[in-house]
Amino acid sequence: MTLQLDPLTRKKLNRFKSIKRGYYSAVILVTVIFLSFFAEFFVNSRALIVRYQGHLYFPTYGSVIVGKTFGRDYAYETNYRELQKEFRQEGEGNWVLMPISPYNAYENDLTEGIYPPTAPDRQSGHYVGTDSTGRDVFARLVYGFRTAIIFSILLLICNYTIGVTIGCAMGYFGGLFDLLFQRIIEIWANVPFLYIIIIVSSIMVPNFFTLMMIMLFFGWIQMTWYMRTATYKQRGREYVLAARAMGASDAYIILQHIIPNTISIIVTFMPFSISSGVVVLTSLDYLGFGLPAPTPSWGELLRQGTSNLSSSWIVSSVVVSMILLLTMVTFVGEAIREAFDPKKHTVYE
Amino acid sequence: MKRIAMLILVGALAGAACSKKSEPEAEKKAPVLTDAQTAAVNKADLEELFKETYLERGTMPKGINWLTNDSDPVFASPKAKKGGTYYYWMDSFPLTLRTVGPDSNGSFRSNLFHNQMDLLHMHPETGNLLPGLATHWGTNKEQNTLYLKLNPNARWSDGVPLTAYDVAFTLKFYLSKHIVAPWYNTQYGEEYDMITVYDDHTLAIRSKNKRNIKDLVYYATFEIRPRHFHILDKDWVKRTNWQIEPNTGAYLISKIEKGKFIEFKRKKDWWAKDLKYFKNRFNMDKVKISVIRDANVRLEHFLKGNLDGYPLVIPEYWHSKVTGKNVDNGYIQKVWFYNDRPQPIYAIYMSQSIDLFKNKDVRIGFAHSLNVDKVLKTVLRGDYDRMETNTMGHGVMDNKKIKARRFDLAKADEHFKKAGWEKRGPDGIRVKDGKRLSARVTYGYDAHTDRLVVLKEEAKKAGVELTLQKLDGAASFKSMLENQHEIAYTGWGAQDRMQYWGQYHSDNAHKPQKNNFGNVADKVLDPWLIAYKDEFDETKKAALAHKIQQRIHDEAYTVTLWAAPYIRFGHWRWMKFPDPVASKGSKDTTIYPFDGDWGGVFWIDEEVKKETKAAMKAGKKFPPVLIKDTRHKKG
Repeated sequence: MTLQLDPLTRKKLNRFKSIKRGYYSAVILVTVIFLSFFAEFFVNSRALIVRYQGHLYFPTYGSVIVGKTFGRDYAYETNYRELQKEFRQEGEGNWVLMPISPYNAYENDLTEGIYPPTAPDRQSGHYVGTDSTGRDVFARLVYGFRTAIIFSILLLICNYTIGVTIGCAMGYFGGLFDLLFQRIIEIWANVPFLYIIIIVSSIMVPNFFTLMMIMLFFGWIQMTWYMRTATYKQRGREYVLAARAMGASDAYIILQHIIPNTISIIVTFMPFSISSGVVVLTSLDYLGFGLPAPTPSWGELLRQGTSNLSSSWIVSSVVVSMILLLTMVTFVGEAIREAFDPKKHTVYE
Repeated sequence: MKRIAMLILVGALAGAACSKKSEPEAEKKAPVLTDAQTAAVNKADLEELFKETYLERGTMPKGINWLTNDSDPVFASPKAKKGGTYYYWMDSFPLTLRTVGPDSNGSFRSNLFHNQMDLLHMHPETGNLLPGLATHWGTNKEQNTLYLKLNPNARWSDGVPLTAYDVAFTLKFYLSKHIVAPWYNTQYGEEYDMITVYDDHTLAIRSKNKRNIKDLVYYATFEIRPRHFHILDKDWVKRTNWQIEPNTGAYLISKIEKGKFIEFKRKKDWWAKDLKYFKNRFNMDKVKISVIRDANVRLEHFLKGNLDGYPLVIPEYWHSKVTGKNVDNGYIQKVWFYNDRPQPIYAIYMSQSIDLFKNKDVRIGFAHSLNVDKVLKTVLRGDYDRMETNTMGHGVMDNKKIKARRFDLAKADEHFKKAGWEKRGPDGIRVKDGKRLSARVTYGYDAHTDRLVVLKEEAKKAGVELTLQKLDGAASFKSMLENQHEIAYTGWGAQDRMQYWGQYHSDNAHKPQKNNFGNVADKVLDPWLIAYKDEFDETKKAALAHKIQQRIHDEAYTVTLWAAPYIRFGHWRWMKFPDPVASKGSKDTTIYPFDGDWGGVFWIDEEVKKETKAAMKAGKKFPPVLIKDTRHKKG
């Protein structure tokens, strides 16, 4: 694969761009994912900039700045929302610039006499209300999204690396290797995934990576079948025979010829794998077998939402986000499939 | 991956489908016997019974001081009406109708247990002994034997009279290997020395331990089993799975639909119905207990009137979910009754198996870093009380002078500094020699996550990091028993008699399968714990209890958290209660309608039910009723 786009790839890209809803969904998704990596600048209880006695402070990343630094009487992390109010009252030219949504995903905004969940309220800065322990729903949505999407992408990369490698090898080498792996995979595929997760998470608290390892354990299977078939088909083609006749090594043939020619399969499956990654993580969190409390997650929000149906903002916010995300991913997936449809570009003999 | 998501969905659906499956059960009931037959039943195979080394026949010793009680006040209402059906719920269908043996330890079991009357009951207001199956009782000088005279009118539900041979048989029953209940085998084996039968209705139970009379009754009596019903052989477990055992209480199971409901019917000619402390109790003709798995669905059923009463201890239920039209119009009434009985102990136990908690200052620092008050005021809405020491509701046994350590950053700082945890890392958490002041909290209650996240966030201010390890209930308890925890957050069920040895004695520290979750090994405390265990004089015992509690507090072995020392529930207006609604020693009778000590005091008024239903249709209102009874409230 070279960086320079060959005409065929350019054609595919143009075709993808011409499918408007898929293209715009992709643009939005990529932007949102990219922004979520820097969510601390938009949704955070730490201030963006504090100006105090002529000095500028940038607390977003880095060490905790304790209240004493800003002339407060406490030695734990500064409450910047309070600090902002206090600076305004003092009127000494000090100021605080807060992010758009001034809460992080963990802090409990609890006031005596007002019991969470509280409804959306612009003045307090809880734009989507709070959950049952007074945490900002918007912050938990944003950080939950980031966790889920990173989880899905990493899982996808790992799954595909293993799946494509084994699948290609099975299709390319065939014979006993193929036979052996087919049987192994058939057995593997019959291990009940959900029970394993339940058992594992009841004896230990799964963290991000153990959860990913468990899913990876079973997730790589699907890709092998497709890759095996595709490779098998390509292996019989003349160009592979030609390459082999010219003395190319197996690795060279697989990397230079077979994978580029089966890339459409891989790319087509990608968006759907991402969406199912998000769905699985959310379902597990919903059932209580996912990431440990108090990690922000959509599943956990959904669970809170369904047990507090009268606080409709919790359940509706996560359902709407989920629908939006999955719809956009599906649009992108469709568009990619259209764009990469071999019937549009190739003529088979 | 899609397959995985589908699997989860299919799994959930399959679970729902299973619960819907039902098959009517053919019930097995013993036929009603004639007098001659019953006499034969009672005398049959007695020789066989007394072959056991722990059972004997004897002649009555002289000079027993027989006691009874009919001078305590009654606590049921003379206004009570018989009739109607009480609808309530269980969260899952029982796996068996046996009350001992495999799978019997479910939440449904109390309904069966409570319908077996006790030999002696306890008055819920005065705490005195009351007659049950036995009318008179007494003890000997050595304080190890309980003499009992049984009520000659006592009958099993199949009409067979209850005799002293049933009591003797019961010990044989609990010690039998055939019931597959090792806990009973060892526990009762260690407690009972001998049961002596003097005649059909008089007997003595001798314990291996010296105890005061209340403790004797508590430890040395059990649920009596019908001798004519049980055949102890290797098929016992299998055979009795779905058999309805004859009982002595007010109700008997009358209908079962597996997976759906179990219905109890009141015995019209129950032998105890006119006894002083049982009159006007157990009033409903039927009690129908239906399976409703999900707590939210249960609440909806209650709000619709499909369930007559519902516990509202959870602040959210009381303050927000059960409010609105039904309550304002007086259709649903609310009761908040402070009782004064032993409370479950919710506490954190800092395991001294890990080096961090071997330091007393660190433990005190931790105690000052937990903002329990904030949890009480916010998450728990001010409804719960701070548990000041590790007992509550044990009367004179509680050391009321102890005040639990409050959230105090200055004091926390002082103690952490003493222990060398002065510096803070870049994330605000204290550090020492490259280690962070961080501990893992193991717990098993999903509903308590809300409380723990607040503690966690607040503890950060003191420079303490708590990581939360939520395991499923059984797994979390197992990990604590295996000593894998750093901090155990757990609740111990209310004990009628407070025990300290198991949780604090050095014999139980640093070992698996022990309840000493703090792994406390304290040379000062050890002898007191032994002395407390063996003391049977109430005053001396109380003094020891106070000393023990003080030591535990001074050394900061545990941080006790919260308690809800009350009954709180909602009920439809056709469900009527005596005045006062409950007694000092009552639990929630809406969840335990059959309890012999204090249960079954309410009644269902069918006329009021009709009136209320009509009023709801017509939009007619009644004055709203909210009873808050604080006569037994402490502090």
